[in-house]
Amino acid sequence: MDSEERIGVYICHCGTNIASKVDIAEIVEFAKGMKGVIVAKDYKFMCSDPGQGLIEKDIKEYNLNRIVVASCSPLMHEKTFRKVCERSGLNPYLFTMANIREQCSWVHIDENAATEKAKALVAAAIRRSAFLEPLERREVSINPTTLVVGGGIAGIQASLDLAEAGKKVVLVEREPSIGGHMAKFDKTFPTLDCAACILTPKMVQVGQHPNIELFTYSEVEDVSGYVGNFKVKIRKKARYVDENLCNGCGMCMEKCPGTRVPRKGNVHERLSLGPTSAIYLPSMQAVPAVPVIDRNSCIYFQKGKCRICEKVCERDAINFDMEDEFHEFEVGNIIIAAGFQTFDPSVVIRYRYGLLPNVLTAMDFEIMNCASGSTGGKILKSDGTEPKSVGIIHCVGSRDKRYHEYCSRVCCMYALKFAHLIKEKTNAEVYNFYIDLRCFGKGYEEFYDRLLGEDVRFVRGKVGEITDLAIHPGEQGKLIIRVEDTLIGAVRRVPVDMVILATGLEAPEGLAELAKKCNVSVGKDGFIIERHPKLGPVATATDGVFIAGACQSPKDIPDTVAQASAASSAVLSMIMRGKIEIESATAEIDEERCSGCRICNDLCPYMAISFEEEKGVSVINEALCKGCGTCVAACPSNAITAKHFTNEQIFSEIEGLLQ
Amino acid sequence: MIEKDIVCEAGLEHNFLEEIYSLPGGAEIKKCIQCGTCTGSCPTSYVMDYGPRKIFSLIRAGFRDEVLNSNTIWFCSSCYTCTVRCPKEIKITDVMYALKRLAIKEGRTKGRKTAVLSQTFVSMVNKYGRNHETELMVRYILKAEFFNALKFVTQGWNLLSNGRLPFKPHRIKHINEIRKILKKVDELGEI
Repeated sequence: MDSEERIGVYICHCGTNIASKVDIAEIVEFAKGMKGVIVAKDYKFMCSDPGQGLIEKDIKEYNLNRIVVASCSPLMHEKTFRKVCERSGLNPYLFTMANIREQCSWVHIDENAATEKAKALVAAAIRRSAFLEPLERREVSINPTTLVVGGGIAGIQASLDLAEAGKKVVLVEREPSIGGHMAKFDKTFPTLDCAACILTPKMVQVGQHPNIELFTYSEVEDVSGYVGNFKVKIRKKARYVDENLCNGCGMCMEKCPGTRVPRKGNVHERLSLGPTSAIYLPSMQAVPAVPVIDRNSCIYFQKGKCRICEKVCERDAINFDMEDEFHEFEVGNIIIAAGFQTFDPSVVIRYRYGLLPNVLTAMDFEIMNCASGSTGGKILKSDGTEPKSVGIIHCVGSRDKRYHEYCSRVCCMYALKFAHLIKEKTNAEVYNFYIDLRCFGKGYEEFYDRLLGEDVRFVRGKVGEITDLAIHPGEQGKLIIRVEDTLIGAVRRVPVDMVILATGLEAPEGLAELAKKCNVSVGKDGFIIERHPKLGPVATATDGVFIAGACQSPKDIPDTVAQASAASSAVLSMIMRGKIEIESATAEIDEERCSGCRICNDLCPYMAISFEEEKGVSVINEALCKGCGTCVAACPSNAITAKHFTNEQIFSEIEGLLQ
Repeated sequence: MIEKDIVCEAGLEHNFLEEIYSLPGGAEIKKCIQCGTCTGSCPTSYVMDYGPRKIFSLIRAGFRDEVLNSNTIWFCSSCYTCTVRCPKEIKITDVMYALKRLAIKEGRTKGRKTAVLSQTFVSMVNKYGRNHETELMVRYILKAEFFNALKFVTQGWNLLSNGRLPFKPHRIKHINEIRKILKKVDELGEI
């Protein structure tokens, strides 16, 4: 160890978080005895103003050139203490943090053992700090264009916020129209305002905004680069109709002899589509109002003959030779607003979805109830008559370890909304079978109170099964719901004409792949993990990638819109800053030792390494390198060093741990 | 008590709900959220077949016989604790009275001493304009506790020797007016 090292060691009590398990005084004494340590002190809250002041003062007074703080996780306060060093004129990379809270006091019961472990952790940090080298701080500029993935209400809100602020947005939606789930709803809870009336103007605004470049029927193919400087590749799927030529006259759909075949067994599609032509518009309010040809239903694509749409189109917009196109963009930030999909209840066999025709999912009902659905908004059974009684089963696919452990958060409220709409339209008897009613939002409990007053029946108990086997009088021709009424303590058999399953929300298909492309992770529930569950709800662990809406966790419309605006404001703050500091701890190749084997080139997840033919060696683009260390471990000639994680630093750290 | 293991809806009386709603104070039970504050606060819930919370649940499910035959409505001592505490401001005690009246009307009072006591009390008021303890006790014991009458001797003697059982009833002035009120109330179905 170099005798020039002047190390200051600071042990934090973290209130009682650390001090209750670790003997702080003993650690301070122990640290004082280590080589190179000039001063060792403790304080109740090192991260507080006086705590930081203490370090600043010591750096000046003792002329310290290495700082070690033993406290919480670096995720929590490494930045804080690096800033302290910087303010005192010390390179921030000369700071080391020892985690004696999460990795010690919080996880150990025995106080003596915890103190011993804390000593080892502190020793490791001190030994490592002696070998630290100052690193240069690096800044990159931020491209003011933003990529928004998903054109539901979250993506629409985020895009409009950014576009209104004068920033360019590239909005990518995989369906043929933007609008997402909300566009399929008739009314929204708890105010019962019309979904189309509040959403359609926003959809149109997105379609017309000069700052928004809209890609529908498109998917994100690839994302590379880093914060401020992402490169994205978008696949625009062939819709066989030229968006620039089509004027949305609808003649093609009128004349199309084909019938769009709904996916097998999907009641929801059967209801929503009714019989539509093979060239179709997802809805009357679709943005853009450009039809799509469904290859699987199109007579020309299936049998090689027809092309009637092509003949009737006056604008020659139909193009059967259209192929998927690729577009590339440079963007500074990404907002993932990929939304959700609803749980498929056919796996819950006891509810007989798909087997009993009058058992519907929530989306089936939404679409039937929507004025633009196939029944024109009428609530009808499969035989075309109005139901006299309807049962709504809550928590289908939610709060169940076999499907999704979490609560889907919106089902209680939409179930109440359904109950109200059914009462209003048919005056049928409506039963809600629930475990708990979670009416947590503004005006939600009041809505529940209103429903109670409307004579909607509430039966507390999760439904055991739905059957059409009548064994009691009055059950013939009905769906019988067998349930324990847990508030009464009796098993009841409730005959109804129609059952609606309040299906939960789950991560949409392909979210994990999209997350991987953007270098963010999904949790075990399948939703994207936010940076911090409370204090970082729109950021992710990857700088420059933000999330909004139900792809983070199930959310209702008010929360989704709030999060979308929060995400866009976070992006705006990045754009306004113009520049951002990026990781200094990159990898470095020793040209003398590099054998030019190129193993590292393909392994680099950030594509930061390229091969220089002239010299016959690999070189690292520091702007792209994130310092992950993959190349360091893989290099067979030991030619690559990770700055801030050199062999010397790591070995001395290990020695410290074991001493 | 609920005797059937599995209750089919055909065996329940759905009109019961509307029937209760139409009773004075009855409509409010629509708003019950089954929190259990009433049963949790009730000083006599421990002897009841069902607590008040469950009574409302049974009403809403259509368990007519179970509700009207239960001892719950007769064990309500009208302390009004539930009514004061109910988060939905349901006048639970009033509903209990409504249920009592319905049970009496249908003759479901066999063996319900409380029913006898309350009916005797009302007839006392009707007769004198206020209660007459001695006559009330005698008439109640003869009707409801005939075979236990001897049990009350010591208690009666103690009350008598302390001047708590006056022999002469006290009549109020203008008794006809209170009778008119009671008659009107009876017509409205409130007694």
